[in-house]
Amino acid sequence: MSARRRFDALPYVLVSPAVLATLVLVFAPMLQAAWTSLYHHILWKPRDVRFIGLDNYLAVAQDPVAWSSLGRTVMWIGLTVPLQLALGLATALLLNQRFRWRGLARSLILIPWALPSVVIALMWAWMYQPQVGLFNDLLLRLGLVTEAVPWLAQPGTALYAIIVALVWQGFPFFAIMILAGLQTIPASLYEAAAVDGATPWQQFREVTLPGLKGVIVTAVMLRLIWVANSIDVILVMTGGGPGYATHTLPLYAFKRTYGSMDFGYGTALACTFSLLLLGLIVLYLRRAGRDIRS
Amino acid sequence: MTRPRFSTLRRALVAAGLATASLGALQAQAPQNIVFWYHFDNPEQTKVMDGLVADFQAKNPGIKVDAQNIPWNNYYDRLFTAVAGGKSPDVAMVKLQQQAQLVEMGALEPIDARVAAWPGRNDLGDNLLNINKGHDGKQYYLPLQYVVIYLYYRADLFQKAGLQPPATCEAFLDAAKKLTVPAAQNGGTPQYGFGMRGGRGGQDNWGPFVLSQVAMTPAELGSPKAVAANQFYVDLMRSHKVVPPSAPNDGFNEIINGFKSGQTAMIFHHIGSSKTMHDTHGDKVSAVPVPACGGKRWTSFGDESNAMFKQSRNKDAAWKWMSYLSEREGNVKFVGATGQMTVTRSGVPQVSFQPRFAKATADSLPFAAILPPVPQTSDFVSNVWPTNMQRALNGEVTSAQMMEAIAKHYATK
Repeated sequence: MSARRRFDALPYVLVSPAVLATLVLVFAPMLQAAWTSLYHHILWKPRDVRFIGLDNYLAVAQDPVAWSSLGRTVMWIGLTVPLQLALGLATALLLNQRFRWRGLARSLILIPWALPSVVIALMWAWMYQPQVGLFNDLLLRLGLVTEAVPWLAQPGTALYAIIVALVWQGFPFFAIMILAGLQTIPASLYEAAAVDGATPWQQFREVTLPGLKGVIVTAVMLRLIWVANSIDVILVMTGGGPGYATHTLPLYAFKRTYGSMDFGYGTALACTFSLLLLGLIVLYLRRAGRDIRS
Repeated sequence: MTRPRFSTLRRALVAAGLATASLGALQAQAPQNIVFWYHFDNPEQTKVMDGLVADFQAKNPGIKVDAQNIPWNNYYDRLFTAVAGGKSPDVAMVKLQQQAQLVEMGALEPIDARVAAWPGRNDLGDNLLNINKGHDGKQYYLPLQYVVIYLYYRADLFQKAGLQPPATCEAFLDAAKKLTVPAAQNGGTPQYGFGMRGGRGGQDNWGPFVLSQVAMTPAELGSPKAVAANQFYVDLMRSHKVVPPSAPNDGFNEIINGFKSGQTAMIFHHIGSSKTMHDTHGDKVSAVPVPACGGKRWTSFGDESNAMFKQSRNKDAAWKWMSYLSEREGNVKFVGATGQMTVTRSGVPQVSFQPRFAKATADSLPFAAILPPVPQTSDFVSNVWPTNMQRALNGEVTSAQMMEAIAKHYATK
């Protein structure tokens, strides 16, 4: 009995450090944030901290900047992730072909993913610069514009300009994941399809895509979470401006928390967004997971 | 039986006495550690700080200074968070716009008595202690360096266009228009009359146009006069197009680089950038005080002080360090790294600036002012002003809506 009890306890003992670390490092701060969001808590007013229940959440619901930031977040995720996926898929298919220097090409494609976000943000900000930037120089030389376009200083173009930079940064992740997936599809399936007279497009649709489904579902889920929470590139390129033009909800939460030092309202924004993102991920996994199982 | 007991007691007493004496000696010998937060931009400046720490420690063997360079972009986020978390430094570089909030948090240690007994106070520049006083009348800040915003202009371009440096807003607009040249007439790159700072920190450039005419009170900020003054500034971009199109997002680096590269003919900044301006343009760059608008001038007094934090366990050592940095020897070395003005009278001859920039600073002092020392100012600077200014420059809000938002911010308790 004694030996059996020790044996039963072993798995719990082994996983307990990881569980403990997760509880302390992830769940405790989450609970602390949720608790803070129920308080009127402005950091520089320590004598005026008081419990206000759901008032911060009601204020979020009535805050036009929060709503417009949510709209931009939907656009930010809705454009960035599909574009990264499409570009990553195309790149992976190319890198899966046999050609000279393929190994070198596979290494070079990782550069955008390996660079720090701040470097990427500064690099793209300079390329968009109206006076000395590469894009305006090209457009002016080609005669496509008559005067330099301030891509990051106009509300109509700033968010899209940052999305392009983020697509460039993130597509290698999809490319490498999909490339790994492509190599797990047995060559015999393509041979069989070819024998049956399938065209390359049919082979892609009926063999490649189903074979990649598991990889794509996982990669998209990870990118959804990362892109949704990503504020570093926006912060460096525009700081959320001009005005609110590049405010996403996480960036707005960050600015309210650390810029205005309103920890109660900032954490309410962050908690609201976390719940929305959790809902999106659950919906996505239910739908995509069902497709995989079927 | 008695003897051994007595012996044991005596031994215990001797041991306790020795232990107490050793502990006292250890305490006397143990260095007093103080943590100092500062923000320098480059490694060369950090080397100067390392030298200051070494000099100070050589003179004060019992004190060890841990000087930590904190990135400027999140300097105050970290400072406020550290204070709230009970981990504040002993001494930190601070600006007036944060003083009211730090006082409200109960974070700062008053230093009135220490300043009163400090020989260095008589060497401090006129009125510097008063300017830096807290709104409760107590002294928390010890001045470290200061600057005043003035107008840099390209003397060669002004001469070529037959212009005088602008003394009024109207002359400023006229010069900006004449010095704005399309790319086709300027060798392929456009030139703009004014390098506007529409991003964070730009309130110092906006102040001469608006705060010269109205006080920063909710009633005056929302007045028609304030709206008109703000409209004049907004129109520099929207109507007259005398600023680079990137102006809404432009910050410190963009306006400095724009001026250095010849893209702009005028910018507002302080003596801290005079060396790099002179190195780039030589005698082609000069400086004058900001123009008068509505018959009055206003410019920003840019302060930097050191403050001692209540949580410090070594306040005497902390005071020695902060007072060392505000005395001639330490202060001259310090401003030698930052390129700003020394707060010591005796140090002035030892700090060399091009005379035209020193003159522009001195001429600007009589009307130099600070933003209201109230808790709202910090958020005004970091969020309210840049967000509303950018929206106004892009036509998303009117001048009246922008001023109303600022007035509302200052009216909120």
